[in-house]
Amino acid sequence: MSAPACGLYVHTPFCETKCGYCDFFSVPVRNCPTAPLVGRIVLELSVRAVDYADRIETVFIGGGTPTILPLDELDELLTAVGRAASPPRVREFTIEANPATVGDEKANLLVRHGVTRVSMGAQSFFPAELAVLERLHSPGDIKPSVATLRRCGVAEVNLDLIFGIPGQTNETWAESLSRAIDLEPDHIACYGLTYEPGTPLTGLREFEQIEPVEEGLEAELYSQAIETLSDAGYAQYEISNFARPGRQCQHNLIYWRNGPYIGVGPSAAGCVDGRRYKNVADVAGYIRMVDSQGHAEFESETIDTPTLMTEMIMMQLRLLEGLSIAAFCERTGIEPLRAFRKVLPRLFDLGFVAVSDTHIVLTRKGRLIGDAVMAELATACDNSSDAGSPDPTHPRTGGSLP
Amino acid sequence: MADLSLIRNFSIVAHIDHGKSTLADRILERTGVITERDMRAQFLDDMDLEREMGITIKANRATCPFHHDGRDYMLNLLDTPGHVDFHYEVSRALAACEGVLVLVDATQGVQAQTVANAHLAMESDLEMILVINKIDLPAAQPEDIALEAEQVLGLDASEAVFTSAKSGAGIEELLKAIVERIPPPKGDPEAPLRALIYDAKPDPHRGVISHTRVIDGGFRRGDYVDLMAVGRKFLVTEVGKFTPKLTPVESLGAGEVGYFFAGIKTLADVNIGDTVTHSTRPTQKALPGYQAPEQMVYCDFYPGIGTTTAALREAMEKLWLNDSSFTYTTVSSDALGIGFRCGFLGLLHMKIIQERLERENDVAVVQTAPTVTYEIELSDGEVKRIESPSEVPDMAQVAEIREPIVDVQMIIPADCVGTVMQLSMERRGKQKKSEYLSSTRVMLTYEMPLCEIIYDFYDKLKTCTRGYGTADYEVKEYRVEDMVKMDVLVNGVPVDALSVIVHRDKAAIRGRKLIGRLKKEIARHMFEIPLQAAVGSKIIARETIRAFRKDVTAKCYGGDVTRKRKLLEKQKEGKKRMKTVGNVAIPQEAFMSVLNPDDD
Repeated sequence: MSAPACGLYVHTPFCETKCGYCDFFSVPVRNCPTAPLVGRIVLELSVRAVDYADRIETVFIGGGTPTILPLDELDELLTAVGRAASPPRVREFTIEANPATVGDEKANLLVRHGVTRVSMGAQSFFPAELAVLERLHSPGDIKPSVATLRRCGVAEVNLDLIFGIPGQTNETWAESLSRAIDLEPDHIACYGLTYEPGTPLTGLREFEQIEPVEEGLEAELYSQAIETLSDAGYAQYEISNFARPGRQCQHNLIYWRNGPYIGVGPSAAGCVDGRRYKNVADVAGYIRMVDSQGHAEFESETIDTPTLMTEMIMMQLRLLEGLSIAAFCERTGIEPLRAFRKVLPRLFDLGFVAVSDTHIVLTRKGRLIGDAVMAELATACDNSSDAGSPDPTHPRTGGSLP
Repeated sequence: MADLSLIRNFSIVAHIDHGKSTLADRILERTGVITERDMRAQFLDDMDLEREMGITIKANRATCPFHHDGRDYMLNLLDTPGHVDFHYEVSRALAACEGVLVLVDATQGVQAQTVANAHLAMESDLEMILVINKIDLPAAQPEDIALEAEQVLGLDASEAVFTSAKSGAGIEELLKAIVERIPPPKGDPEAPLRALIYDAKPDPHRGVISHTRVIDGGFRRGDYVDLMAVGRKFLVTEVGKFTPKLTPVESLGAGEVGYFFAGIKTLADVNIGDTVTHSTRPTQKALPGYQAPEQMVYCDFYPGIGTTTAALREAMEKLWLNDSSFTYTTVSSDALGIGFRCGFLGLLHMKIIQERLERENDVAVVQTAPTVTYEIELSDGEVKRIESPSEVPDMAQVAEIREPIVDVQMIIPADCVGTVMQLSMERRGKQKKSEYLSSTRVMLTYEMPLCEIIYDFYDKLKTCTRGYGTADYEVKEYRVEDMVKMDVLVNGVPVDALSVIVHRDKAAIRGRKLIGRLKKEIARHMFEIPLQAAVGSKIIARETIRAFRKDVTAKCYGGDVTRKRKLLEKQKEGKKRMKTVGNVAIPQEAFMSVLNPDDD
C-alpha cells in the first residue's frame, strides 16, 4: 500500500494582540522580533519536511496571524514551504488571516507562492460581540478583505464564525450567518465558544464578569447554523465545518481521518508513522532547540492500538461521513461493531448514532452531545475485553445493528 | 495455690474521657507494675484507633501486687471499653470481677455511659466504689459531683474516693478501698476446675490467647482441659498472668485472673464466656456464660475503587479472627456487585470496623446506609428477622413490621431541655422520665426507635447541647410500627442498595432529601434521568436530572488531539469507577451520601 497523503502544518505564533478566548500558542508581535523565528521555521522545514516531500498533499499555515508577518519574511517563509511541498502534489494550500491584515500586495504574494485558500477569522458581524472576544477588527473590515482576496486570485475563502458569545441572541447570530453567506465564501466554520482553561475569557467567567449563554440557547444557535447554512448551500461535513460542494478543507480532513501530518514551528504537533510529537511552545526555546538539533521536538508518544482506537472514535465521528468501519478494522485489528456492541444499540435507540454498512455516524441529535457519545464508545472499547481480533469466519455485518 | 482472701478482682467503668486509662496507669505505677516513665502515656490502650478515637475498645488487664496492713494482696485490674456500643464487652469483664470502680470526672459529673455501666455492675451484684477523679482541675467540684452520683447511682457520697489520676493524689486511698471494700473471690480451690474465658485474642505466633478467671479449682501447663461449650479437648501449653506483659506462671488457682495458651488456632475455635474444666476431672456444672452479642445495626460493605471482592473478603476474614464482635455474610447487589452484609453492636462499632478494615488491610470500602434489624410478620404468620431493606418481601404479603425500640438516657445541661425534647420528638421519641441531677443538669429518659438514633442522633445531641450532652441506650423490645420500604428508582430502575425502611409518616420527607442529594451526586447524562422515591407503587418524591443539551468539542485539529484525548480518557476512567444502573452511571459517593440523611 502506498504511503497515505500527508499534511504539513506550519505554526507562526505572532498576533497583533491575543484574543481573550484563544488558547493557541501566540505572542504579541510588538514584543518579539519575527525574523529570527521565521529563520528557524525555515530551517526546521528543511529538516522535518524533506523526508515527506513526496507525500505532502496539503499545507496549512496557522497561528497566530501568519499574514501579520512583514512582506519579506512572509516571502521567505512561503518560499521555504514551496521547497518542501509544491504543486502538483499539493492540492490545497491554506493560510490563516484576520480581516484587515491582507492588502493587495500580500494577497498577490500569497497567490504567487501557490496559496489556494485563505481562512479568515470573521467571528461575528456585531461590534459588541467582537469586543467580548477582544477582536481588533470591525465588522466593516470583513467584506473588503474578502474582496481583496478574490480580486487577487485566492481560489477559496473560508470564514470562521463563533456562536455562544455572551450577549449573542438568535437574531444577532442569524444576522452574522446571513452576512457571512452574502460574501459567498466557499467554506464556513462555526465554532461554539469554548472556555479553555487559563484563558482571560475563562477568568472573566470565573469572576462573573461575563455570563455565558445558557446551554439551551447554545444548542439552538448550533442547530440554527446547521439549518441556515444548509439552506444556503453549505453542507455540514464536520461538527463545526460547512462547505459548498467539493470545497471541504482537505488538510483538516486528514486530521479527522486520523491521517499523517507534519508540524513545524513552535507548539506545532505532527503525527507520522504511528508517533505523535509536539514542538516546544516557547519562542526562545524553539530557536535554541532548532539551532542545536534542527528541530524543536519537546514531547512525543507512540500511538498504540488502544490509543488509536480512542483517537479514531474521537476524530472520525466528528465527520458527517462518520467512523469508517473498514478503516477501524484495518488499523486497529478490531471490529468496531463488536467492540461497541454493549452500548451501540442503546445509543441507536436514543437516536444519537446511526449505522450503515460502511460507517458509524452521529445523528444530528448526536452531534449536539458528541463528546458524551464518544466517551461511551471509547469506554465500551476498553471494557470489551473479548473485542480481540475479528473473527475471520464471521464476515462483518454492518447493517445488522440493532 | 494463692490465698483467696488476698485476691481482689475489679474493673473500672467510666464515661469516655473521664480518665479511666490514666487512672489505670497510676494504679499500675503505684503498685510498681510499671515504673518506666518512658512507657506510652496510656499503657493500656494498645490500638492506634483507640488512641485516635480516644476510647478503649478492647478489654485490657494487669495483675498488681499491693502490700497493705502487713499482707501482700494481688489486685487484678480488668480494663473495660467505655462506649455505648460495648455494653456487651463491659458485662463480659464484669462477670470476672467482684468489684468495680465507678469513675466520675469532678468537672463533668455523671454522664450517660456512667449510668449505663453502673447499672451493669449493679445487675451483676458487684461492690461499687465511687471514684471522683480530676480533683486537681480548677473547675472541679468533687463534693457536688459526689452528691450528684449519690442521687443518680445510689452510691453513698460519703464513701467516695477522691483522686487525681494525673497527679497521683488519692491513689493510695483508692488501693486501700479496693482491698477493704471489694470482697475477695469466693470459690473452692479443691473443687473440679471451672474457669471462665472472658476474652480471647489472636496471638501472631501462638494461636489464641484466652483471658481467664478461675472460679473453682486450678490448672497448670500440661493439663488437658475441655472447653465445655465448644466440646473440644486441648493441651494447655502455657498459663500466666498479665504484669501487664504476658508472664508465665506455674499455675492459676481459684479466684485468680490470667491467661492460657492451649493450641487453639483461631478465634473461631473458642467461645468467649465458655467454661474451662479438666478433661480428667470435669465439673458437672458449667458457668452461666454469656449471651452472644446481638448485632443490631447492619450495613453492606462493597469493594471500593481499586479493591477486589477477594481482597475485601480476605480483609474481613482477617479482621473477624481478631474481633468476632461483628458478623458478615456474602451479599449480592444489582448495583454494587458482590459484597458483605455486616452486623454491628452499634454505629460506633460499625465505624471502627470499617476504619480498621481500610487501615489495617489497605482496602477501599463502599458502605451502604446502616439499617437496624426488623421483625417482619408475614400474612401466613411466619416471622422473619431482616437485616437489609432488600430482604423486605412484597408489602402485600407483610402483616406487620416490628422495629427495635430502645430506652435512651440523656444527661444534658438544664437550659437545653427544650431543644433536646424537640430533637427527641422529631425522632419519634416518647418521654418516660425527666430528672434534675442538680440545678444545672437534667437526665431525660426517652423511648425511641433504634433506627432514629443510628444515623446522627449523637451528633445532633452534641450540637443541641454545646457538646455537653451525653446519651446511652439499651434495646428494649420489638414493636409494631407503621414502617414501609422506600425504594429509589434511577431512570425507572430500582437501585437495591439505596432502599431504606422508614416510618410511613417520614417517608415523604426522607424521600425528598435522598432524591435531592442523589441529584447532586449524579452527573448529567445524554438523556434525562428521572429520580424517584417510591413506597410500593406510589411515587412520593421525584426529581429530574436534565440531559446535556450541548456537549461537543468545537475545535479538534492536529494540535488538539493529545489533549482532547486525555480529557476523554479521564472521562473514561471516571466512568469505570461508577456503578451503572438503568444506563445511569452512579458514583460511589452517591451510595455514601445516603448515610447523611439530615444535612439540610
